Amino acid sequence: MSEKVLLARVGRRDSRSIESYLEDGGYEALRTVLTDGWTAEKLTDEVKKSGLRGRGGAGFPTGVKWTFVPKDTKGKPVYLLCNADESEPGTFKDRLLMEEDPHQVIEGVILSSYAIKCRNAYIYIRGEFYLGARILNRALEEAYAKGFLGQNILGSGFSLDVTVHRGAGAYICGEETGLIESLEGKRGQPRIKPPFPALVGVFGCPTIVNNVETLACVVHIVNRGAEWFAKIGRNEKNSGPKLYCLSGQVNRPGVYEAAMGLQMKELLFGTEYGQGMKGGRKVKAVIPGGASAAMLTAEEIEDCPLDFDGLAAKKSMLGSAAIIVMNEDTCIVEAAQNLSKFFAHESCGQCTPCREGTPWLHKVLTRIETGRGRLEDIDLLEKISNQMANGMTICVFADAAIAPVLSSVGKFREEFRYHVERKHCLVGRGASRPELVTA
Amino acid sequence: MSDKTPMQPGAGGAPSGPAAGAPPPSPPSAPPPKDTYTVLFDGKPIEVPRNVNLIEAAKLAGIEIPHFCFHPRLSVVGQCRMCLVEIEGIPKIQAACTTPLKDGLSVKTTTEKVVQSRAANMEFLLINHPLDCPICDQAGECKLQDNSFGYGDQRSRYDEKKRQYAGFDRTPIGPHVIADMTRCIQCTRCIRFCQEIAGTGELTFLDRGGRTLVWTHDGKPLANDWSGCAADVCPVGALTTREFRFRSRVWYLEKAPSVCPGCNIGCNISIENRDSVVYRFLPRLNPAVNDYWLCDYGRFLSESLNLREIEKASARQGDAVQEVHVPAAIGRIAEAIRGSAPEAVFFLGSANLSNEENYLLRKIADHVGSPNRDVVVDTSRTRRMKSKTAWVEGDHASANYAGAKDMGLSPSPGGYGLENVLSGKAQPEVVFVADAAFSKIAGDPEKVAVLRRARFLAVAARTANALTSAADVVLPAASLAEKEGTFTNVQGRVQKFERAFLPKPPARPHWELLLLLAVAMGFGDRNWTPLDLRRRIQAEVEGYADVTEEELKGGILMKKGTFVSVGAI
Repeated sequence: MSEKVLLARVGRRDSRSIESYLEDGGYEALRTVLTDGWTAEKLTDEVKKSGLRGRGGAGFPTGVKWTFVPKDTKGKPVYLLCNADESEPGTFKDRLLMEEDPHQVIEGVILSSYAIKCRNAYIYIRGEFYLGARILNRALEEAYAKGFLGQNILGSGFSLDVTVHRGAGAYICGEETGLIESLEGKRGQPRIKPPFPALVGVFGCPTIVNNVETLACVVHIVNRGAEWFAKIGRNEKNSGPKLYCLSGQVNRPGVYEAAMGLQMKELLFGTEYGQGMKGGRKVKAVIPGGASAAMLTAEEIEDCPLDFDGLAAKKSMLGSAAIIVMNEDTCIVEAAQNLSKFFAHESCGQCTPCREGTPWLHKVLTRIETGRGRLEDIDLLEKISNQMANGMTICVFADAAIAPVLSSVGKFREEFRYHVERKHCLVGRGASRPELVTA
Repeated sequence: MSDKTPMQPGAGGAPSGPAAGAPPPSPPSAPPPKDTYTVLFDGKPIEVPRNVNLIEAAKLAGIEIPHFCFHPRLSVVGQCRMCLVEIEGIPKIQAACTTPLKDGLSVKTTTEKVVQSRAANMEFLLINHPLDCPICDQAGECKLQDNSFGYGDQRSRYDEKKRQYAGFDRTPIGPHVIADMTRCIQCTRCIRFCQEIAGTGELTFLDRGGRTLVWTHDGKPLANDWSGCAADVCPVGALTTREFRFRSRVWYLEKAPSVCPGCNIGCNISIENRDSVVYRFLPRLNPAVNDYWLCDYGRFLSESLNLREIEKASARQGDAVQEVHVPAAIGRIAEAIRGSAPEAVFFLGSANLSNEENYLLRKIADHVGSPNRDVVVDTSRTRRMKSKTAWVEGDHASANYAGAKDMGLSPSPGGYGLENVLSGKAQPEVVFVADAAFSKIAGDPEKVAVLRRARFLAVAARTANALTSAADVVLPAASLAEKEGTFTNVQGRVQKFERAFLPKPPARPHWELLLLLAVAMGFGDRNWTPLDLRRRIQAEVEGYADVTEEELKGGILMKKGTFVSVGAI
């Protein structure tokens, strides 16, 4: 698919202004839904039919999620939270959408709010995205001025207020219940489920949390139909256009839009996409879905469709579609240690195994990386990892934290062994300067 | 009189969903709704109440599920991850405390996976714990120790530097509580106590991940009225009280069930003592009164029980004060009473004394024929205590004003009370003060002078004050820890306290001194015990007929014949 959908307007001059958005047919989907007599149920059904799955990482069918809001909310309001806390390392697609085409996101928010009968929506934006928050706020003002937000939108009787809320810098606030806690003004730490947010979410009310890209997709599902959307991609369960965040040692890193199920090799080497490895080096490992996804080896990326099921089949995940490429000069131990540092830093600290386990993993990996490792440490890494996850904690942060460790130890065991025995890296900076790392 | 509501195990709240409205009226033909669930524990079906947490339900079934962060009265956070169990039909291991009870729930607590997960969790908890049990006050009543012995591995694979909290160790965070974050296991019980029970919310988590610590907001002190409870709920030695710190190893302490003497709420306490020294009060579970809690004022009265200033009986001989034997002192009092007209004798009971003692005093007054009797109490600022269901308030500085009144210590027709005596409207010849420890009568020299106008003034006391110095006869009385009896609290609840240890002779419990006086006046039996007095109270005093020994045991009987102080919950 060479046609751009989500990124169609990115790069257009003045793409942030509502005038240019309207020129390009913006808010038509909203007009269709509100003035052509679409019911909320019809919109939900349409999204269900499209096969749209959440773009934030878990890949849960969006339309199905919406139906979890109880029909009778006992007088409680329903909230839509747009999860713009894009903090998965390697991910930068939502930022692009918000900064370059904010009205597309806002239209998606309005449509989705209509579908779940929400009157107050929040865009929870990562604190570091100061620019994005400013752009969104300006876009919201424009939308209010044009009557796309506020009371009685387009004369339909539907009213909606949207507020941008900036986070304060925690990865875990991208987890939906952590986000909810944070939005309520509390310490950002995930809640126990059940009850699920669709029943008891923000301020104790039914709440739906959707990713920025997910909401942007809704606009196009309305404009072009669920069938159109479902046909894009490998199959109806992995459908629609998808943004891929390509980073690492490739010639042209960046955000690329392609049909769901793009081949990994195509993304890395295709002329439209990554255009191959920098300096012609070989691929050593690829992280396909952000820091929480298991690494894939060069062999594994042969015939590797980048969609939910394609990567699940390889025991990794699409996650936020952040593809991080490492070339043959990358020390896997260093990479794992780097990732473990991130997770040790970002654990919220409420559950014992994660609070204690993530720094432990980091310490052991640091020891190996700095030449103080022991052979039994390699097994220890696996053992610690295995006792941190799979129900041991409230949220799946620990499961994410162990993915890079388990996959790197599992797939590059020899390199770890080399590291321990020689006390320096097999490749990369550490290999040429062994005296530095042994110090 | 006594509240007969059956005591139920705590409804420590399984995580509750949205508040349910009132249940719709069921048609008359429908069977009555079951108030229990049938839950399978390791395959064994057990009926458990609906309103309990799975951990409590398991306890009722005789199965211990180890835990740290769960507390029956605090919200469920499920974050220590110690209570892991397997639930049939769920592939992943689950925290028991966050699993809602339902009919047919099948819980497995002994599988290999459960055992391994608990051991794993213990390993994680201990990797950064200093393991300084030999110098930690919590040792002996530490959940970390207990669960480590019960469910942990002996060896740790952790070989890195342990976490330190420079500046957050061994630091007072309030008037009573000392925090040592190196020992903290981040269970948040203390945080939740301050938020949910005290309602003051001084404590909070700072930082995150492996650097998470519990501290006060902006360094403000942890200074609510119940701050000692934060140390009680702490399962480890991270929060300890300044007053008890380093004073005794807990396993040396003997425990006696008692009632706090601090005010008329009558919180149930455990007097922890060793070698006739009181070391601390701990709250003793009684959902109807103080639940798991105890206020700081009451808690730190413990040291006052060790005060002993009146060690011997003394009698004034002319201007000199002589030490005498207790029987001789009693004889002097009896002589003085007999030598005076009954209408000129004034008996002053005390809100510090038990029902038995006040009863005996009233009987003596009846026997003598004096209508002049009263009871004294000091008022204090209002104290509040959270029972399981409601706040209880008390504003007396003593525990038993209601009981003393019930025992009949009010002026009889034609008689007078303390007001009249102090204002000079009445002038008794002989004054007998059963307990001198009241600022109302002993704190003001003028009032002491008024009482001293009597020809003969006798007091029983443990601590010295202006009144004991002025008295003709002083009797050495025992402390709360040295006697048994009952108090009637502000709710009208009759609660028994047990003797922790014997008084040091010649000091004797008030009831014994009063009994000696009664016998000297020709009334009563030298062999009476508080039990005999209670039986007479049951027979004679209105409203006390249904106060039986069984009820007086108070608190929750965790096991027949024993009680559990909250330190172990």
